[in-house]
Amino acid sequence: MNLPLQAVMQTFCIEARERIAELEAGLLTLEQAPSDTEALSAVFRAAHTIKGSAGMLGLDAVSAFTHGFEDVLDALRTGARRFEHRLGELLLLAADHLALLLDAAEAGEVPDAALQAAGTALLQALHEEPQASAVPALPPPLAPAPMPVERERPAAETGGPEFWHLSVRFGPDALRNGFDPLGCLRYLHTLGRVLRVVTLTDALPDWAGFDAETCFLGFEIDLDSSHERETIAATFEFVADDCTLHILPPNSQAAQYLDLIRALPEDDLSIGEILVRSGCLSRIELEQGLRAQAQAAAGSKRLGELLVDRHCVDADVVRAALERQAHGRTRRTAEAHTLRVQAPRLDELIERIGELVTVGAGATLLARELGLPALDELATTLNRLVSGIRDNALQLRMVPIGETFARFPRVVRDLGQELGKDIDLELCGEDTELDKAIVEPLVDPLMHLVRNAVDHGIEPLAVRRARGKPGVGRVRLSARHEGANMLIEVADDGGGLDGERIRSKAVAAGLIGAGEHLDAQGLARLIFAPGLSTRDTVTDVSGRGVGLEVVQRNIEALRGSIEIESESGAGTPVRLRLPLTLAIIDGFLIRCAGTSFVLPLDQVEECLDFDVAALHAPPRQLDLRGRPLPLIRLHEFFGLGTPCGRRASVVVVRCGERRAGLLVDELLGEFQTVIKPLGPLFEHLRALGGTTILGSGEVALIVDVPALFALAAARTPPASSLPAPAKLACA
Amino acid sequence: MQALKPSAGDSAARASRQYLTFTVAGEAYAFGIARIREIIEYGRLTPIPLMPAFVRGVINLRGRVLPVIDLAARFGGPPGETTRRSCIVVVEADADADRGGTDLGFVVDTVSEVLEIPLERIEPPPAFGQHIRPDFIEGMARLDERFVVILDEHRVLSIPEMAQLSRLTQGAAA
Amino acid sequence: MLHIDGNGRRLTLAGRFTIYHVAELLAYLRGLELAPMLEIDLSGVTDFDSAGVQLLLALQREQQQHGRALRLLQHSAAVLDVFTLYELSAHFGDPVLLPAGGGA
Repeated sequence: MNLPLQAVMQTFCIEARERIAELEAGLLTLEQAPSDTEALSAVFRAAHTIKGSAGMLGLDAVSAFTHGFEDVLDALRTGARRFEHRLGELLLLAADHLALLLDAAEAGEVPDAALQAAGTALLQALHEEPQASAVPALPPPLAPAPMPVERERPAAETGGPEFWHLSVRFGPDALRNGFDPLGCLRYLHTLGRVLRVVTLTDALPDWAGFDAETCFLGFEIDLDSSHERETIAATFEFVADDCTLHILPPNSQAAQYLDLIRALPEDDLSIGEILVRSGCLSRIELEQGLRAQAQAAAGSKRLGELLVDRHCVDADVVRAALERQAHGRTRRTAEAHTLRVQAPRLDELIERIGELVTVGAGATLLARELGLPALDELATTLNRLVSGIRDNALQLRMVPIGETFARFPRVVRDLGQELGKDIDLELCGEDTELDKAIVEPLVDPLMHLVRNAVDHGIEPLAVRRARGKPGVGRVRLSARHEGANMLIEVADDGGGLDGERIRSKAVAAGLIGAGEHLDAQGLARLIFAPGLSTRDTVTDVSGRGVGLEVVQRNIEALRGSIEIESESGAGTPVRLRLPLTLAIIDGFLIRCAGTSFVLPLDQVEECLDFDVAALHAPPRQLDLRGRPLPLIRLHEFFGLGTPCGRRASVVVVRCGERRAGLLVDELLGEFQTVIKPLGPLFEHLRALGGTTILGSGEVALIVDVPALFALAAARTPPASSLPAPAKLACA
Repeated sequence: MQALKPSAGDSAARASRQYLTFTVAGEAYAFGIARIREIIEYGRLTPIPLMPAFVRGVINLRGRVLPVIDLAARFGGPPGETTRRSCIVVVEADADADRGGTDLGFVVDTVSEVLEIPLERIEPPPAFGQHIRPDFIEGMARLDERFVVILDEHRVLSIPEMAQLSRLTQGAAA
Repeated sequence: MLHIDGNGRRLTLAGRFTIYHVAELLAYLRGLELAPMLEIDLSGVTDFDSAGVQLLLALQREQQQHGRALRLLQHSAAVLDVFTLYELSAHFGDPVLLPAGGGA
């Protein structure tokens, strides 16, 4: 397969999968509301699009199957068949089958015999419905829109300019084919008086892309001539294949100029220029218009309105020109809406911008060292611009979570059927955006949580009845922003966590001692422990006690955290807290034993002064406003030797509800941190989440606070052996 | 194994390879030049805590953060001392490695020269009697009156193995 | 033949400045470091066509985009003829009928 075709295939597959998702969503809607014609049209459109594109690419298996699929949809549309549960089921299976065919096509394979047989069986089943005999012959699907035909212009009337107007654009090969537009111009001079020639250079590419032998020229010509249209048009006869020509006769009305403006290939021209080029108005009139506009209060009137006020041009013509500009703009936004960019390219851009942020910080540093206020100011401006670009670039990578949520209605439906539960899935905050790099690894954890809610959360029907709950269970998947974080919640209206059950299971699994006390959070956390499942029977769905542990690991790998709220009998909301992006964080820079460390700013609560000399050995615990605060001496913790300075500082960091003080040498303040991963050599290194490059070029280490806490807890001796906490003054 | 890189027009070169020679803890070693990107002055290194001694730290090489290996410690000796002549040799990721390929640097005491060593002068590694692990040695080259240890670059700089050793250090720290 | 002589500050063109030689001239120009004020003497141009016009237009725009300028000097009759037909004299803004010296 050659390259362009491969690219086309790739695009096709991406788009076809989106169409299948739409198709599935529509079918699920139809299941709830069989008479929803909009949903039916959406399903039909999706199938039709896939069929068309597949046909164009020669993917016969895909297009043939979709064709059969489409037949049934069309019968539904025309009312020849009715949507009912069994048919919905079959159509969903057909959508799945379509996805499989697509996989095969993408891999460049022809569907194997089993897949083909499944497809045939499916189509047969789809057509075998009782009403199948009523299916009418397939009408030609969606006849293509007729090509726009050039309208005949009405005969010339009085008014308007008294000359011919010619718009001619020469094709790229005109010069190479031995033709020179000069000849046309010279010939026109023999037909009458050439009043004006505007040579257009809009099509000229940049110097680097300029090819001297390719023709980029176009002309707008005003000609005073008594010859017939044919004679004038004949000027360009020899170059007819290599040019496009529009001719407006003398006395053409505003409406005709309006058509011409729309037909011109040039985009984005100021309206004055278009009008000058159309010969509706002279440059002098335009310049007067411009001057008047400059004199009028800025922005109070548009140029077009001014020109009309001064009776220079027809209001209709101005409107057409404005419309054309607006059209150009909306077309561009529409294009932007569907722009596809390879993710690695975007990553590369963000990487570069990250370096730019670093260099900008370096420039600021240098300016301050040199004591040059002007340079400092410049560096500050530069940094402001760079951080603007950075935000824009990161924005490019943001995708709405809805795309991820979209797969769950089907999951919940299928799973509910399998388990004999009737479940309603509610989606919320689908427009909430987050980094694509986070979205992908989020799918599996969410899948686990949703399946868990359906399987473990929602009680069997009999239990729900007994508890006086509605028969239909509810699962709610919601997303929202909270500061620099994204909160995703999976909730259900099921029975909640059974504390006693978890405890006894945990004791049985040896995870906790029989007499050990656990608070509600501690109990809830236990369900994430490996090897714990509270179900008595292991179902296909979940309950193997491995899922939730994986969820926790995945979420932590994304620098996120999990919170569980559960009261017996009141459902189990699981809340995932995730950073919006993985690339850059706001950090707090500290120094310790000559090495710079960055703490994520949102985990820093406060900073305190600490007099090392006042104590022989720094304690393991501090007294912060009457509450004990565990102290982690970073030197000792990281094995970096002993602190040398007399004075030190304590940074109070927080993770969820837990707090600790970090004893460090020096506080350096906030720092915009571009995260560079540590790489595979350091994959087992907890407590550090990556590196970043400081303005000075030095590499600083990013502290992973939750991991630091976990490691510190593992090293801490039992509570009874702790010395008395030291009193602490707030700085 | 690395494919031989014959240089055109020199028939003798077909049977030889180019090596960078350097010293670590007083011993001479050679390393195939194919993977070497550049040699930089030692400096501005950020140590990474909780890692074994053979991981000296990381450096910023034009915006990329690369790990730097202390070869003396990797060979089982005490970490090498840094002098004015110490250098960091930057090598490309091991293309043969299944996973964990990454560019990295290693510290040497002094860089000597690039030598073209005919394959016939390279002898198999001795089974014992060397001060470094035998599997680190690809061969011994006889040069004038001395021997140079040709390092097995894949094994000496194996990221999976070094990562595994780091994991053990982590376990000890917790 | 098109004779090209000079450097990125001042260039003299003589002969046929047409489709047959523009590619050669373009390659030559791309090899030059163009001065903030590039002057081209056109007095010796015997033949001039649309391809020549295009090249000058593109060169002028390149200069302008980098805050530099292009000044055409001593237009020959062949050049003037085309400039007149295309109504480009005002576009280039160089004094064409009088010898240079008035300044742009």
